[in-house]
Amino acid sequence: MLRMQNIRKIFKTEMVETHALRDFNLEVEEGDFVAVTGPSGSGKTTFLNVAGLLETFDGGDYLLDGQSVKGMNDTQLARLRNEKIGFIFQSFNLLPDLNLFDNVDVPLRYRGFKAAERKRRIEEALEVVGLASRMKHLPAQLSGGQQQRVAIARALAGRPRFLLADEPTGNLDSQMATSVLDLMQEINNQGTTIIMVTHDPMLAKRASRNIFVRDGQVSEVGKEDDIVELLHKTAQVG
Amino acid sequence: MFSYYVRLALLSLRKNILLTGLMIAAIGLGIGAAMTTITVNYMMSSDPIPQKSERLFHVQLDNWSPNQPYNEPNEPPDQVTWLDATNLLQEGRAFRQAAMGGTSFVIEPSQAEQKPFIASGRATSADFFPMFDVPFIYGRGWTANDDNSQNLVVVLSKATNDQLFGGENSVGETIVMGGRAFQVVGVIDDWQPRPKFYDVSTGPFNEVEEVFVPWSLKEPLELPLNGNNNCWKPVGEETFSAFLRSECVNSQFWVEFEDPQDADNYLAFLNNYVTEQKKLGRFERPLNNRLMDVMDWMEYREVVAEDAIMMMYMAIMFLVVCLLNTVALLLAKFLGRSGEIALRRAVGASRRDLFLQYTVESAMIGIAGGLLGLVLAWFGLQGIGGLYGDMTEGLNELDLTMVGFAIVLAIVSTILAGLYPTWRACSVAPAGQLKSQ
Repeated sequence: MLRMQNIRKIFKTEMVETHALRDFNLEVEEGDFVAVTGPSGSGKTTFLNVAGLLETFDGGDYLLDGQSVKGMNDTQLARLRNEKIGFIFQSFNLLPDLNLFDNVDVPLRYRGFKAAERKRRIEEALEVVGLASRMKHLPAQLSGGQQQRVAIARALAGRPRFLLADEPTGNLDSQMATSVLDLMQEINNQGTTIIMVTHDPMLAKRASRNIFVRDGQVSEVGKEDDIVELLHKTAQVG
Repeated sequence: MFSYYVRLALLSLRKNILLTGLMIAAIGLGIGAAMTTITVNYMMSSDPIPQKSERLFHVQLDNWSPNQPYNEPNEPPDQVTWLDATNLLQEGRAFRQAAMGGTSFVIEPSQAEQKPFIASGRATSADFFPMFDVPFIYGRGWTANDDNSQNLVVVLSKATNDQLFGGENSVGETIVMGGRAFQVVGVIDDWQPRPKFYDVSTGPFNEVEEVFVPWSLKEPLELPLNGNNNCWKPVGEETFSAFLRSECVNSQFWVEFEDPQDADNYLAFLNNYVTEQKKLGRFERPLNNRLMDVMDWMEYREVVAEDAIMMMYMAIMFLVVCLLNTVALLLAKFLGRSGEIALRRAVGASRRDLFLQYTVESAMIGIAGGLLGLVLAWFGLQGIGGLYGDMTEGLNELDLTMVGFAIVLAIVSTILAGLYPTWRACSVAPAGQLKSQ
């Protein structure tokens, strides 16, 4: 469903060449809940950006839903992002001037849905995250956890195959983090594939699969491995 | 999506009123200054008789001194002599032709309480009225027979008819001009071609004359000249007849063709005429006769003043400066929203989508700036009217075309000013922005 083969990503400046991903190989099946861990600077976020089609790559091939994204132009990539991928960010990235309804509406606008269809999907998505009654509120009127729920609703409204989450609970207290994680788990249970970058061992433990990224390369973490210990080591390396 | 972009633009513009106001003010000032001068130029250079301007031709004959041209390098006089105008009129080779010259009359109203007054006049021939599509409210122009018979007939302007007859139908009435009774045959409706193309010698934006009389009366009544008179050699005797038959140029001659192609034949006729006149000792210069249609004639006479053109260029430069300021303000505004841009890119907006969104926002600033510019242009034109008075009457009015032009100019200018900021905004790398929010 998501297959990366020997992906290479190099960031170049005048002085320095940084190999963010080197021969990065990964296969994610439909319905997986994958936690991506690794030390700071290991390439986790670069991987997530490449997977989310926000960054191009310099070598290898990337198949999303069986379709190679190599050589696609900006419009094709934008359409693919819109139709197949939902994003959840650490800092929510809600648009402060738009109310919750309009925030969730943003990806649907680019899909070209009719107004009635958009309305139905927005209401459904906000219902799922428990904020249907507050759809006319502005993001600033919500708590951090509620804002992240709106971001999840925005990601869900387009009914994507993949949900890519970058430290989704990084800005939340533990109670809110648990609540958001429960919600993500529920979404995954309903069939949406989730790939989540995290430093949080609690989050990583709840994923069905764990992969570890170091120096731009990936290794699978077996279920029997002690993820907490691995992450502790990660912190020491980072 | 367009209405969505409009809504987003309104939200964005409302968010920072000060910045938005600055941009609108910059565009408005630029458009206001540009439109003020462009309007004056546009009115000066507009076609005064568009329905037939390409079929109306002004005649120039080079009867000037053999030793030097009328104007360098080899330009013939702008006017013709009374003699040549009269001769060409008698030949009648064109579909229509009109000889004409400015004059003036002392009019003695019939009502005792009204004082005599001096009225500007034009001696011309019968074709003047149909040639120039002169509108009448009462009666009509005189006939060729009136010309030939030297009948004392007159056509009044609407204002003169209002003054003498209280606006009533005066056709058939008589008025006393210069001590003679003239019969009114027609009253012209409001008519003010701008420029006053048929005689620009005393000013292309002067008022239309108050009375019109037959050309054939000029000699017998010794009608005074009210206009430019240029001579290259002295008039022999000091008589009116000698003055009329001199080489002094003080009359205009216009012809109308059914087909503009007929101009070639008429020019050949003019050359033959001059060749014949040479045998009489006139026209000592080589053949140098000209026919110019209305717009060519306006351009030749430089009806649009040079200082007006210069002012327009300066105002356009000012608009460019205002637009450069707008570029900087838009750049600050758009790049300040890189987080939003990145988010929209992440959730499926292509660069094209964002380009359209920000172009719509630029255009909306342009519309607001254009409307402000129109208001400022109106004040500017009133200011010009106040400075120059009657000279600019009719030149300082914004017509619908100019209003539309102002709005289009504002929108196009602002979109152009917004291109670079929009391009920069669309080039924002979403990945970095999303992480750093």
